[in-house]
Amino acid sequence: MDRYDQVVIGSGVSGLTASVLLAQGGRKVLLLEKAPTIGGALTRFYREGVPFDTGFHFTGGFADDGLLHEMSKVLGIRDAIVPIVLSPDAAFRFIFEEDGRVYDFPYGIPRLLERLQEYFPADAAGIRQYFGMLKQVWDRTGAMELAAVLSSAMSTAVINEDHTSLQSVLDDLLDSPYLKTLVSAFCMCYGVKPTEVSFANHSRMCHGLYESVARIEGGGGAFIQAFARRLTELGVDVRCGRHVAECADIRGDAVHRFILNTGEEVELESCVLTIHPKEVLKILPKRLLSPAFVTRISDFESSCGFFTVFGVVEAGCKDDAIEKSIVSLLPSTDVNEMLDPWHEGDSALVVIGSVEDVAGVPVKTRCAFEPSFMTEVAEWTDSRTGRRSPGYLEYKRKRAARMQERMNALLDEQKGCFRLRASASVLTYRDHLHSPDGSAYGVKQKLGQINLLGKLPVRNMYIAGQSAVLPGVLGAMLSSFFVTRAVLGKATFGNILLTGGC
Amino acid sequence: MKKTLSEKEVIALTNRVLAESFEIEEERLLPEKRIFADLGLDSLDTVDLVVALQKRFSITIREDERVRSIRSLGDLYTYIMTVQQEQQAGTEG
Repeated sequence: MDRYDQVVIGSGVSGLTASVLLAQGGRKVLLLEKAPTIGGALTRFYREGVPFDTGFHFTGGFADDGLLHEMSKVLGIRDAIVPIVLSPDAAFRFIFEEDGRVYDFPYGIPRLLERLQEYFPADAAGIRQYFGMLKQVWDRTGAMELAAVLSSAMSTAVINEDHTSLQSVLDDLLDSPYLKTLVSAFCMCYGVKPTEVSFANHSRMCHGLYESVARIEGGGGAFIQAFARRLTELGVDVRCGRHVAECADIRGDAVHRFILNTGEEVELESCVLTIHPKEVLKILPKRLLSPAFVTRISDFESSCGFFTVFGVVEAGCKDDAIEKSIVSLLPSTDVNEMLDPWHEGDSALVVIGSVEDVAGVPVKTRCAFEPSFMTEVAEWTDSRTGRRSPGYLEYKRKRAARMQERMNALLDEQKGCFRLRASASVLTYRDHLHSPDGSAYGVKQKLGQINLLGKLPVRNMYIAGQSAVLPGVLGAMLSSFFVTRAVLGKATFGNILLTGGC
Repeated sequence: MKKTLSEKEVIALTNRVLAESFEIEEERLLPEKRIFADLGLDSLDTVDLVVALQKRFSITIREDERVRSIRSLGDLYTYIMTVQQEQQAGTEG
């Protein structure tokens, strides 16, 4: 039987990060992945040779001293990741569909602050106060610099802003409904309503995106390749198509052996789970869990998922705006409604462009997303990918057509240029990415919620992942830094931070 | 409007949370019992306990000096009495 110091379960960005860090700390690591390949939501898929990203499209935090830049350096993957920075003047473009108003967000916090005051002079004082509050959160979270963030104990320390909703801050400080929508639109980047999210979490999520916004050359695939190289260099064993079927040899509230779905058995010293919290309940031995723990996890709600259309732009078509900016079409000024599972009608629609190299030829691709929930596909939840009913296929066709109609109505350059190649509902994401409820950001991180991070009630098991600290690539990676520090101890971990990927 | 619970109700509900959520026998739930040393909860359980109490009493429990000074079940009853009164007054004001 194989024996490992650490087993890491789940090979999304969090599991990949944990595996590399633990191996850098000298541990013998096994990485288990349920899907046929590693990568989780970083995975790309291909249509007619053209690559499309499933879960990773753009990120903040890649400025020179940005958190993602720093973490990638420590992991030894920074050189393999090439950020493509978006338009400095209009990284994000927001278009209100009702009246055609257009607002551009430059990146860089001082410039954004200035721009918003130009757009909304009557709200200038409130805008300055709002940014003052953002800065307070950033400062108390170590200004989002890696060493400071790790020592700020962000994972456990609670500040006042953790108990205030984003909506209440907006209502206190700002007047224009357009402005409130613009500063809360990034709720789409973590899938929680302004009334439900704490101001602190919203601030942390916005920091990287306000500082700099980038796509990555090669998309999520670039991260996967870079991590795969590091796993090989560090001698991490990777087994795909495997999950834990049973915990065995349970002594002293700890699990010492896993029996996998394939019948293979592995001995372990400890384990880091980087899977969805609800999936954790399926693995941990029931007799070690209190009803309070089970209820706490069961009560977590899902963040939003997305309905997505993927396509290419006809050669010769011009749509510079989407190449340089991430464009959001907003049907109203009610972000809460757009993120409500029971909302009917159009939601926010976000369009992201990319240029992919297909056998030496540049091909422009476009992905467009709308928040979506299980409520919408409730009648088909029992179906699996590849075996769906005609009714479901009709739902997908209609929804994709409506999204294209909206893009055509407001993005002139796009008209007649977009060729649909694929579409995905929350069921597609659920089945391909093993994400319960097809949610894009794990469980909803709500106001006052205590996330599941670090030690689990099984003595030698830990949990990390995007539901643990902050959603998205940056949050998922960061959670693994926190957890790995707990597993390896501060001294060993400190050395890894110093020597990085060397 | 939510009504403030009496001391007796707070004790009964707190005990029910402990009995149901941590499978502790009701007869051991006495005010002088220490939560860690006598009732066997550990530091990981405290998070689950906080979540369960917040839900049962519809209160927000913040990690502050008062929480850190709780040792016995009696301390916990007193703390919940105080917090629910404070937060009740807050919503009425």
